[in-house]
Amino acid sequence: MRRVLTAVAMLLPLAFAGGSARAAGDVPAGDAAKDAVGRGAYIFNAAGCLGCHTDEKGGGQPLAGGRALATPFGTFYTPNITADPVNGIGRWSDADFIRAVREGVRPDGAALFPAFPYASYTRMTDRDLLDLKAYLLSLPAASTANKPHDLSPPFSWRFLVPVWQWMYLTPGPVADDPARPPAWNRGRYLVDALGHCAECHSPRTQLGGLDADRYLAGNPQGPDNDKVPGITGSKAKGKGIGDWSDGDLSLFLEAGLTPDGDVAGGAMGEVVRNTTSKLTAEDRAAIVAYLRTVPAKE
Amino acid sequence: MSNRVVNVLAAASVAGLMFTLFGMSAGTAGAADPAEQVKDRQQTMKKLGGGMGAVAKFVKNEGATAEDAAKGAEAVLAVSKMDPKKIFPEGTAVGVADSAAKPELWKSWAETQKYWSAVQPAAEKLDAAIKTGDRAQIAQALGATSKTCGSCHEDFRVKKN
Repeated sequence: MRRVLTAVAMLLPLAFAGGSARAAGDVPAGDAAKDAVGRGAYIFNAAGCLGCHTDEKGGGQPLAGGRALATPFGTFYTPNITADPVNGIGRWSDADFIRAVREGVRPDGAALFPAFPYASYTRMTDRDLLDLKAYLLSLPAASTANKPHDLSPPFSWRFLVPVWQWMYLTPGPVADDPARPPAWNRGRYLVDALGHCAECHSPRTQLGGLDADRYLAGNPQGPDNDKVPGITGSKAKGKGIGDWSDGDLSLFLEAGLTPDGDVAGGAMGEVVRNTTSKLTAEDRAAIVAYLRTVPAKE
Repeated sequence: MSNRVVNVLAAASVAGLMFTLFGMSAGTAGAADPAEQVKDRQQTMKKLGGGMGAVAKFVKNEGATAEDAAKGAEAVLAVSKMDPKKIFPEGTAVGVADSAAKPELWKSWAETQKYWSAVQPAAEKLDAAIKTGDRAQIAQALGATSKTCGSCHEDFRVKKN
């Protein structure tokens, strides 16, 4: 009963706002829908949607976008992904959502800039994508308008993005490797698809594609011009995690604590706070199992 | 150039020189050297990290004894009781020695104080958890303490290269 009341209370402001916004109540009733929202909440954390799509410092509403992402290509302002029908994704169909996240194409046909890490998210399963959508639409809508990106040519030329996609995007999920244990496959999915770790931990080419030869080998020019350490099997400091024990890695993912007692700050602090600390212990162990097999790159 | 202008200029430069000299002597006679203060802070943080690391080693079952963990928690608690103004004196932002503290740390001092004061209750719980000897409980308290460190690191620490 209390749940119902809370739900009603959450819907009230929307009703007064004109009732056009899509909200929690629009999700089909029944256990299946509730399960989808619940599973979607986990996917949402594992994929780290909240951090980039919320202007936390500017006091923006969750997922209403507007966070500035400073990159070597210019500053991107993340869009609103709440259920708002005009500025958010409230009117997107399931197919629209899947196409946007998997192929980087908006419902109106325009290509999305790869600051949105669809080159990683493209590996997400249909089910995870739809659960994620169900969860996003269950959250309060915000009508915050989207802010244009601040990019310099040629990176601002949206018509070039499909060329980028042709070069750097391999759409669709990747089949599990039957030769590897399930934990490894799950770990790879968490690292490559949901966690999109390579987006920061791999260097980029001059065209902004991930340098596949330097997979997870660290990025001298990461977001906000921070240097991002490598997380391959290398034992060299800053190049890899070869000299971290499994316990070191699990504890770091859980609490941000490094082997020398330091606590992660910056972007990784945020990742620990929003994502890795919220995963199950099994999933953290799966990430560790997978990272253990990433060949060392100096 | 008229005499008047020259006089004014001369007076101004003498005043400037005196100000510089005075300012410099006041700087050395008064507060500690900012570079030293940065070093002190790094020592304090090392003590904090050493404490956290010892507890972590115990939690991970990697060679630390319960006694090591207790000592570690004590160190964390001791640092958490320090005055943040002493650890972060003004004028020790990034640019001074190898300081990694963003200027925003001082600009948002209320936030900084809030972050800092969250450490002590967490450290107390960590200390209490260690006395129970229950690894799961200690792990949880360690995570909670680590979170209080992380909030400040996330907002106010420059990425180390």
